[in-house]
Amino acid sequence: MLENIVALLKESGVHAWEINDVKTRGWEFYFIRHALDQHRAKELEHIQIRVFQLVEDGAFLGSASAELPPTASEAEAKKLIDDLAYRATLVKNKPYTLNPPRPGQPMEAPVDLSAIAGDFLRAVRSLPETVGEDVNSYEIFVNDKLRRFLNSEGVDITERYPDSMIEVVVNARRDGHEIELYRNFQSGTCDGEDLKEKLAKAMAYGRDRLRTRPTPKLEKADVLFSGADACEIYSFFVERCNAGMIVRRMSDWTPGKPISEELRGDKVSVFARRELPNSSKNRGYDSEGAPIRDAVILREGVPQEILGDRMFSSYMGLENSFMPSNIEVTGGSCSEEELRKAPYLEAVEFSDFQVDSLTGDIFGEIRLAYWHDGETVTPVSGGSLSGSMFDFMKDMRMSKAQTQYDEMRIPSLTLLKGVTVTGAES
Amino acid sequence: MKAPFSAYLSGIKPGLRQLIRLLRPDYDYVSVLATDSKGLSVRISRHARTVGSETMTTERGVVVRLCKEGQYSEYALSSFDPARPEAAAAEIREALEAQRALLAETGVQPYPTPLLPDEPVTLFVEKETEQLPEETDAKPLVEKLSALIDRMGEQSEELVECMASAQSTHISKLFLTENRDMSQSYVYSEGFAVAVAVREGRNQVGFESLSSLGGPELFDQLPAAGDKAVKTALELLDAGRIEPGEYEIIASPEVTGLIAHEAFGHGVEMDMFVKNRALGKEYIDKRVGSDLVTMHEGALCAENVTSYAFDDEGTLAGDVIEIDKGILKTGICDALSALRLGVAPTGNGKRENFAHKAYTRMTNTLFDSGTDSLEDMIASIEDGFLLEGMESGMEDPKHWGIQCIVKLGREIKQGKLTGRIVAPIIMTGYVPDLLGNISMLSPHREVFGSGGCGKGYKEWVKVSDGGPYLKTKARLG
Repeated sequence: MLENIVALLKESGVHAWEINDVKTRGWEFYFIRHALDQHRAKELEHIQIRVFQLVEDGAFLGSASAELPPTASEAEAKKLIDDLAYRATLVKNKPYTLNPPRPGQPMEAPVDLSAIAGDFLRAVRSLPETVGEDVNSYEIFVNDKLRRFLNSEGVDITERYPDSMIEVVVNARRDGHEIELYRNFQSGTCDGEDLKEKLAKAMAYGRDRLRTRPTPKLEKADVLFSGADACEIYSFFVERCNAGMIVRRMSDWTPGKPISEELRGDKVSVFARRELPNSSKNRGYDSEGAPIRDAVILREGVPQEILGDRMFSSYMGLENSFMPSNIEVTGGSCSEEELRKAPYLEAVEFSDFQVDSLTGDIFGEIRLAYWHDGETVTPVSGGSLSGSMFDFMKDMRMSKAQTQYDEMRIPSLTLLKGVTVTGAES
Repeated sequence: MKAPFSAYLSGIKPGLRQLIRLLRPDYDYVSVLATDSKGLSVRISRHARTVGSETMTTERGVVVRLCKEGQYSEYALSSFDPARPEAAAAEIREALEAQRALLAETGVQPYPTPLLPDEPVTLFVEKETEQLPEETDAKPLVEKLSALIDRMGEQSEELVECMASAQSTHISKLFLTENRDMSQSYVYSEGFAVAVAVREGRNQVGFESLSSLGGPELFDQLPAAGDKAVKTALELLDAGRIEPGEYEIIASPEVTGLIAHEAFGHGVEMDMFVKNRALGKEYIDKRVGSDLVTMHEGALCAENVTSYAFDDEGTLAGDVIEIDKGILKTGICDALSALRLGVAPTGNGKRENFAHKAYTRMTNTLFDSGTDSLEDMIASIEDGFLLEGMESGMEDPKHWGIQCIVKLGREIKQGKLTGRIVAPIIMTGYVPDLLGNISMLSPHREVFGSGGCGKGYKEWVKVSDGGPYLKTKARLG
């Protein structure tokens, strides 16, 4: 079908075009406790077409996009392309060119749905559950994705990769009181031992959550992040170095200029990585056909290479740019012992921890934290954290040791100083 | 005009009927949901302008639900050929049997569930709209949004980015079983305006949205939304930080909707009752709010982005009173969870799209209004805040915690707005306390449907929520 679409696009006389065709074979399993709620399979194809037109004698470039259903007839496909050709003339963006063919290494990973799904099933069903801690429910998603990208510049890439996700709800109970913890892990395939280790840790947190006290009114406290929520903190640095944010003047970070003149703590370094072990985002090319490579985005608090999509990168004159998929963060100078100097609040479970990369604001309702006052360690819950990353980044501390959460490898421990803690004590 | 039902779906209907006939001998239950939803999307900002046909709910595909020996399964496909239903039937059997082999190998047992009923229902609904997104000429819309962006940007040199977005979706869905033949077609639209202002390297964002059951005619209201977004962004540049603590608050209708959604929207999704994941199960017929609290949920209780005639499992839309004068009466339920709980489904079985599982999901979730004026509410507060603008929220049905991120608070001292603004605000608390302290409600009610709702961190669907201004107490940080 793609060959027919290409022929129609060429016939239409549009200035330029892109086609993104993703075929997905998926297996899904849904459990209540360990009994099967339902199982699902899917066979999908999504074909997205984007058409570009020069407007006002080349002063502007317009674009329009649509998804063409694989069931579309040739007449439907022709009408859709004609509509796109017209609609693309309606919008006026500064001109740029699409990605040309560039050397890269497409991802070609064999995918065995049954084997990967079996690994997930066996891993969850072999967890060491007890009367006090067990699995409430879980959902397993395993996908075999085959993606082909073509554009009018001659790019024609085919990639195949696995893409998996498991959502697990864990219960812990004591004296008639039951709590739950939610986990959502994305990965390429199933790493059963890693999954079991993470879920065992969740069960331990569950035990502690059963004996929490209300979070004290601390007003300001040093907060240690020791879990996946810290990815949000580092996404702030990645997004502020994005070409789109800079062109739109929503980030004033500039290559060669420190992100703050007052960096007194550990200085963050951020790298784009083409591959990380078992990441669900391992790709050879980005969604616009640019080859993905290792790159230095931020070195010791100083932006280096700005990356982003083709349009905004072109506006900045960045011909070798791409949209990064995997990220590694380094720069930590501290041992765990150095970071765990009381008093501090170790936040391990939130309702939904967020860092707004636009405003720098951080938020999170505390579901489980440990208040280390120097003498005792008290599990606490309730209340919230808030403040601004623009302030926290000046004095933040990180561990040398790293932990990987799917597409991000980050310092295992991150300490933000002077965070506003709204307690839950009455 | 009526939004016409999809010609494509009408065309494949005989093939789908034949597919059901082919599968029925091997399975105890077979249903088919087929979708064909078209859209229009225009997004204009100072630096990037796009036109497209995709929205959050545009799709075309088929999902087949089957039950065999008490075990439910589904198969979703995007390439159904109505001339070759036997090929689809073979593909479905092969894929599901491969899964059953793995399940047998790993010793998995089914969750016992009765067979879905299949009483005859025939329904054909085409709802009213003034325009259809697929037939709308995008040119005037692009021009309107471009002019709006230019005008927004001229209002201050501190504005670095302005954006306006207009999206409209024409939904067509067909649900078939041996005995049911249900078709629906409707159009919904949503728009938003965003202004980003910057001072000393720090951004502030103003955001306003619109939504309706209907077509692109909604976008005539975008200019007013743009002006309001600019005003908010510029106001926020002077905002201070709140002193954390418990305050008397007035929630604006948008914030009221967020409370409704997070407090007793997710909290009474009854698929969570099946998993014992919601405290609400133990509080039916018990007090969860003050006498002033009455809350409705259902596709029929408002006309907005999710006001369908039947859900994604072929259950007719409903209007459920979840909380009646402070007493929790019932929850909302998809069809399979209803069978497992022995209750009637409420028409809340929704899918992100045809390729996703159906869960119990919200539609319109609304507080009833009251009789108090906003002025009287403000006058009654010694030290508190009027909260405006919704950012995000997160549910905690198991423990009834609530997290709402609110754009800003307007300070109230001794019964008067002082003009001081604080931002941003994280509102947290215990749901029965929050609802139990509701002491005043305004007479008019607003409904907001421009956002999406996830189940956990996935399965995004359209929902709307809202209510009146309400006064209560909350912990703010």
